[in-house]
Amino acid sequence: MTRVTTTWTADALAALAAEGATGALSGERGIVYLKAGRVVHVESAFAPDLGALLTRSGAVPPDGWWEAVDRGGTQHRVGHRLVDSGRLAAGALEVCHLGALFDAAYFVLAHDTRAQRFRPGAVHWLGAVRSVPVDVVVRESGRRRALLDRIWPDPAVDTLPLTRVPGTGSAALPARRSRILTQVDGVRTAAQIASALACRTYHTLVELRRLAADGLVRTAVPTAPVPPPGPEPPGVVWDDPDTALLRRLRDALEAL
Amino acid sequence: MANLETSLKECLGSIDGATAVALVDYTSGMALGTLGGGKDFNLEVAAAGNTDVVRSKLRTMEHLGLKDEIEDILITLNTQYHMIRLLKGRGGNGLFLYLVLDASRANLAMARHQLRRIEGDLEV
Repeated sequence: MTRVTTTWTADALAALAAEGATGALSGERGIVYLKAGRVVHVESAFAPDLGALLTRSGAVPPDGWWEAVDRGGTQHRVGHRLVDSGRLAAGALEVCHLGALFDAAYFVLAHDTRAQRFRPGAVHWLGAVRSVPVDVVVRESGRRRALLDRIWPDPAVDTLPLTRVPGTGSAALPARRSRILTQVDGVRTAAQIASALACRTYHTLVELRRLAADGLVRTAVPTAPVPPPGPEPPGVVWDDPDTALLRRLRDALEAL
Repeated sequence: MANLETSLKECLGSIDGATAVALVDYTSGMALGTLGGGKDFNLEVAAAGNTDVVRSKLRTMEHLGLKDEIEDILITLNTQYHMIRLLKGRGGNGLFLYLVLDASRANLAMARHQLRRIEGDLEV
């Protein structure tokens, strides 16, 4: 059974943590997996996942990763498989996993997005690697948002395709920033750039905001005008013509 | 193979004079793991503060045009050593180990040597 929620993701998580809940909370920008009220995994389309980080960096060969997914996925033990097969030290897996968890959590939690539904009992195929208290994840996401906004207060840089500002050079940039600048092509988003460089998303966001602050990079499409502020009524109905189809599709996939 | 917790335990257990250790992400200043310290020594605060030390040194090197990498930073107090070791490796990018040592009991060369070995379990 699923529970549909319309509260802010952070508030919904706090309530689930207090209950010691296990399951998956879907938000507008990703999914937070809980076990006994603690965060065990977060995924967001805006941040490359652990598999992308490990395989693109060359730390784990792609077939090694997929072998672990094939053999460990159904038992939710992909992480254990990677360590047991000797492909990765347990500590290295934990460090990478925590990195990916907090990177994805920034997108899910830092901008006040709404939680959409909670699936009790849902478990991620990666399996348990590390768990973090909900309040630590929420606090860290807010702190990262503040750090990024201090560099350049435009969150659109985090999610929209980025382009180089014509007529600007890249002379005298530090190595990491100039490597990231070369990936800005008018099409790719921060997540795609992070994935291409096998670089942690938050590190990429920091450099991209600096490039934006320096006037070298801007979003490729004009940022949509901000809607006038005002509290949304609780229980807002999402006016999306595809919702019913998406739900059927999702239910069919879950039933597999 | 050691996980994060056992690696941190090993730092305190096998390095003479070690009293506290933290694994810190220096882009965000967040401690991914801490051990030791106690109530008179807040490791979270130390992690965040030493992040500024690392960033400042990296920025200075950028300004100087040095292409080299920082292996470690040593801060010598009257009674303590604070050692910051930057993790290498593809996944360790942006992380450092912060180790607090009691100056009267520590052997710096040995501490460096042992940290290098323990780091191996945390690097991708």
